Amino acid sequence: MLGKRTLTGRIGFALAILLLVSFSLLPFAQILSTSLKHQYDWGNPSLIPQTINLDAYKELLGLTEAKKVEIPAAIQKILNNPKLPKDKKEAIAAKYTSNENLFPFGKYMLNSVIFSVGAATFSLIFSVMGAYSISRLRFKGQVVIQRSVLFVYMVGGVLLMVPLYQMAMNIGLASSLWGSAFCLFLIYIVQTLPVGMYMLGNYFRGIPFALEEAAMMDGCSRKEAIIKVVLPLSLPMLATVFIYCFIIGWNEYLFASVFLKQYPEFHTLPLALQELFVSKNAIWDRIMAASMLTLAPIVICFLFASRFMKGGKTDGGVKG
Amino acid sequence: MTPLERAEAKFGWKLVAPTILILGLLILYPLMYNVYLSFFDVQLNGYKTFVGLENYIKLLTNTDYYSAIGTTSLYLLGTVVGTTLLGLAMALLLKDPFKGRGLVNAAIMLPYVAPVISVVFGWQFLFDPISGVVNYLFVDVLGIWSERTNLIGNPDSALWVVVLFDIWKHAPIAYLLILSKLVSVSRDQYEAAAIDGYGPIGRFFHVTLPELYFVLATVVLLRLIWNLNRFEDVYLLAPNVQTLPIFTYYQAFTGVIDQGLAAATSVIQLAVLSVFIWFYIKKIMKW
Amino acid sequence: MAAITLKNIIKSYDKTQVVKGIDLAIEDGEFVVLVGPSGCGKSTTLRMIAGLEQPTSGDIIIGDRVVNDIEPQNRNIAMVFQNYALYPHKSVKENIVFALRRLKVDNDEIERRLSEISEMLQLEELLDRKPADLSGGQRQRVAMGRAIIREADVFLFDEPLSNLDSKLRSHMRTEIGKIHNKFGRTSVYVTHDQVEAMTLADKVVVLHDGYIAQYGTPMEIYLNPTNIFVAQFIGSPSMNIIEGTLFNDYLDIDGHHLPREKLSNVAYQETISDSGLKVKVGIRPDFFNDKAFFSETDLTFNFNNVVIDLIEPMGFDKEVLFNLAGGSVKARLDLRSDITLGVKIDLLVDLSRVLIFDPETEQRL
Ligand SMILES: Nc1ncnc2c1ncn2[C@@H]1O[C@H](COP(=O)(O)OP(=O)(O)O)[C@@H](O)[C@H]1O
Ligand SMILES: [Mg+2]
Repeated sequence: MLGKRTLTGRIGFALAILLLVSFSLLPFAQILSTSLKHQYDWGNPSLIPQTINLDAYKELLGLTEAKKVEIPAAIQKILNNPKLPKDKKEAIAAKYTSNENLFPFGKYMLNSVIFSVGAATFSLIFSVMGAYSISRLRFKGQVVIQRSVLFVYMVGGVLLMVPLYQMAMNIGLASSLWGSAFCLFLIYIVQTLPVGMYMLGNYFRGIPFALEEAAMMDGCSRKEAIIKVVLPLSLPMLATVFIYCFIIGWNEYLFASVFLKQYPEFHTLPLALQELFVSKNAIWDRIMAASMLTLAPIVICFLFASRFMKGGKTDGGVKG
Repeated sequence: MTPLERAEAKFGWKLVAPTILILGLLILYPLMYNVYLSFFDVQLNGYKTFVGLENYIKLLTNTDYYSAIGTTSLYLLGTVVGTTLLGLAMALLLKDPFKGRGLVNAAIMLPYVAPVISVVFGWQFLFDPISGVVNYLFVDVLGIWSERTNLIGNPDSALWVVVLFDIWKHAPIAYLLILSKLVSVSRDQYEAAAIDGYGPIGRFFHVTLPELYFVLATVVLLRLIWNLNRFEDVYLLAPNVQTLPIFTYYQAFTGVIDQGLAAATSVIQLAVLSVFIWFYIKKIMKW
Repeated sequence: MAAITLKNIIKSYDKTQVVKGIDLAIEDGEFVVLVGPSGCGKSTTLRMIAGLEQPTSGDIIIGDRVVNDIEPQNRNIAMVFQNYALYPHKSVKENIVFALRRLKVDNDEIERRLSEISEMLQLEELLDRKPADLSGGQRQRVAMGRAIIREADVFLFDEPLSNLDSKLRSHMRTEIGKIHNKFGRTSVYVTHDQVEAMTLADKVVVLHDGYIAQYGTPMEIYLNPTNIFVAQFIGSPSMNIIEGTLFNDYLDIDGHHLPREKLSNVAYQETISDSGLKVKVGIRPDFFNDKAFFSETDLTFNFNNVVIDLIEPMGFDKEVLFNLAGGSVKARLDLRSDITLGVKIDLLVDLSRVLIFDPETEQRL
C-alpha cells in the first residue's frame, strides 16, 4: 500500500509506526516516569527521572511506617454536633481518617479484587449456562432472549443509575454498608453477564455440534456432554471471558461512586484514586504510582489473554 | 412436541433462568421503573411525589440541558470521526505482516484495556499548566501559544481533550474491526485493479473503500452507541465537560438533587439509544 | 443385539416434511444400507434412530423397546459420524475408551478391548496422538474404534467414508464388512454411494425424497427395481429408459418386435387394445452383448444393424452409444468387440432382463 519497497516508503512506514506507538504509549510513559520522579523533577519535560524515587510505591505498598492520624479539632466539633445523623458523622470521620496522608492502597486493591473477581466468577458461570442454552438448545423464545441480551448489552450504566439506586433505596439496601456492597456486586454481574453471554454464545456456535452428539452416543447426558466436551474445548475462551469481565469490574467507577462513596472501607481502586486526587493529598508521584499499580494487573491479564483474544473479541460489538 | 423435545426445552429454560432473572430484574425492570420515576419528584432517600410531566417541562426549558445536548453532539461527532479515521489508518498501516507487528499490536491495544482511572491522571499531568509536556511543547518549544493554559480547566477546550482521550482509548477497537475485514479482501481484487491501471490511491478508493463501507458503518454505529452513554472517560478526566451522562449524574447525585429530572433525561436518552441499537440489530446483525 | 422397526415415521422441519412416512423392519444382526441422492432424508432417518432428532410422528422400536422417549445416551447405540467428530482435546486412546470409562468398566477389560481393537484397526502407533495430528484415514479408523469398542446393540454410520480418497475408501469398505462379519451387530449405514450400498448391505433401502422407493437385497434392487427412480439410481452406468409400445404379442421398440412370451420379467397381464400401450422400457447396459461373441438363443433378441455413435473404452470393457427410439442408448460390451464409429453391428439383449414401466407413475408393470 505504502510502497514499502522503496527506501522513502520504508522510512515513512517506520516513522508512522513510531508515531502511532508513541501516541499510544506516551501517557503510560508519563505515568511511569512521574511516579518515579522527585517533586523537584516534575516540571522537567524529560521522561527519564534525574534520580529514581521509589517512595511513592513503598508508601502505597505499605513498606513504610504509616503514622496514625487524629481527626482535626474543627472536624471533631462538627462530629460532636448531636443534630448530625450518625451515618453522616461516620462518613466525615472516615473521610478524614482515611485521607490524612494514609492511603491504604492494599485494602482498596483487595476490595477491587474481591468485587471484580467475585462478579467475574458468577458472571462466567451464568453466562456459560445462558450462552449454551441460547446457542445450542432448541426451545421457543430463544431468539427473543438472544436479542434481548444484545439490547441489554448495549444499554449503558448511566441510564440505570437512578432507577437502580432508587430500587436499592426502596428495599433498604442502599442505606447499609453490606447492602450497598451487595448491590454493587449484583450490578457488576449484570454489567458483565451480557458481554460474557455474547462472547461465549458466538464461541459455542463454532464448536461442531457433532462433538456433543458423539458424546451422547458415548453415553453422556447433555449435562455431561457440556462438562466433558464443550467446556474443556472452550477453556481459552472461558479464560478470555473471565478476564474481560474482570477488567470491566476493575475499571468500573460510576456505580462504585453511587453506592460506596460514603463507605471508605469498601472503596474500590477507581473510587479511591479519584478521592485521593480530589483530596488535599494529591501528590503527583503518589497518584501516578497508584495508577501504575492499578494498571499492572490489567496489563498482566491482557498479555495473558491476548493470545486467545484473536477470534472472539473482534466480532460484533465488544463493549468499549 | 415429543417428551424429549420438551425435556430439551425445559433444560434450555433452566439454564437461561438465572440470566433472565438477573437481566430482567436489574436492567429491563429498572429501565421501565425509570420511566415511572420520570413522572415523580424523587428524593435521594427514596421519597416520591407525583408531578406528571413537570420533569420533562423543566428539562425542555432548561438551557443547561440544551448545552449538554450540544456538548454531547460535539463529543459524538469528534470521537466517531476521529476513532473511525484513526482506526482505518491503523488498519491500513498494520495490514501486512512485518517484523515486530505483535509488539506494535500489543502497544496500541494497551490504551483500550487500561482502566480509565489509571490513565486519566497521566493525561491530566500531560495537560497540566505547570508541569505538563503539552504546554511545554506548545509554549516553550514551538511558541504557538503565548502563555501556559489550563486546557482541562476550561470546559470548551477540555471537550477536545476528552475527545482526544476517547480517540486514543477506542481507536484500537475500530482498528480491530476494520482490520478483520481488510485482511479478508482478496488479493485478486487488488491485482485486477492494478492490471486495470489503478495506482495505490486508485486502488484504495476503488477496491478497499467499497469493501469497507459495511464495517465502517458498523464502527460508526457502535461508537455512537457506546459513546452516547460514556461516563467515566469524561467525568474522571474533565468533570466540567457536561455531556448528557454527566449532566444526568450531577442532577441525580450532586448539588441540588433531582432524581426525577435525571430519570427524565435518561428516558429521552434511552429513546435515542434504542434507535441506534435498533439500527444496529436490523442493519448490521441483519435480524 | 436388537432388531429395529420404524413405523410410519414422519419428520417435519417447521412446515416442510423431509421424511414422509417410512416403514422399515431391520432384523437383528442385519446390515442395512440407506442409499439415495443427497437431501433425500437419509441422515435425518438415521439420526432419528440414534435419538439425535425426534420424529414428528411414528414409532421407533429397538429390540423390544419403543425408544421415542428414550434419550440417545440410553439407547445403547454407537455411531460413526461423517466428519468423525473426534474429541479434539483428547488423545486417540482417550477418544476410544471415553465411553467405557464413563460406564466404569474395569481397567483390565478396557485395556483388553483397546488392544484388540487397536490391533484390528492398526491404531497401536497412534494411541497417544491428538486427532489434529492424524490423517483423514487414521481419524476415520479412530472413529470406527470408538464406536465398536462399546459393543453396543446397534451401529449407525453416516457416510463414514465420504471424506476419504477413492483408494482408502474401498479399503475401509472392506474393513467395515469384516468388522460386521466379526461382531454381527445390527447396523444401519447411510451413503449416497451405490457401490458401498451394493457391496456392504444385506438389505438396501433406496430413499427418494423422503419415501422408501424400494427395500430389498442388493440383487433384488439391481435386477428387479420397482420403479424408474431405483432402476436408474442403482447400477453404473445407469439403466437405459427407452420409449416403447406394448402389444398383446410383442413389445415394440422403434420397429423392433420383442416377443411378449419371452419377456419373463414383464408381469403385465391385462389385454391391450389394438393401438397398444405406451410404456417405458428399461434395459441395463450390461445386458447387451455383441453378437460376434455370444450365440443367439431363444432367450435373446437381436437388435440388428445398430449404428455406433460413440465409443468409450473403459479398460476391461467398453461402453458404446447408439440411437434407439429417438433416444441415446448405452451398451456395455466385451473388450474383444472390435468396433469403430459408424459401423453397424448386431446387439443381443437378454429378454428376461427387459423391464417395462408405466410412463405416468414410473412404476413397474
Ligand atoms: N435441522 C434442519 N432444519 C431444517 N431442515 C433440515 C434440517 N436438517 C435437514 N434438513 C433438510 O432435510 C432434508 C434431508 O436432509 P438429510 O437427511 O440431511 O439428507 P441426506 O439424505 O443428504 O442425509 C434436506 O432437504 C435438508 O435441507
Ligand atoms: Mg446426510
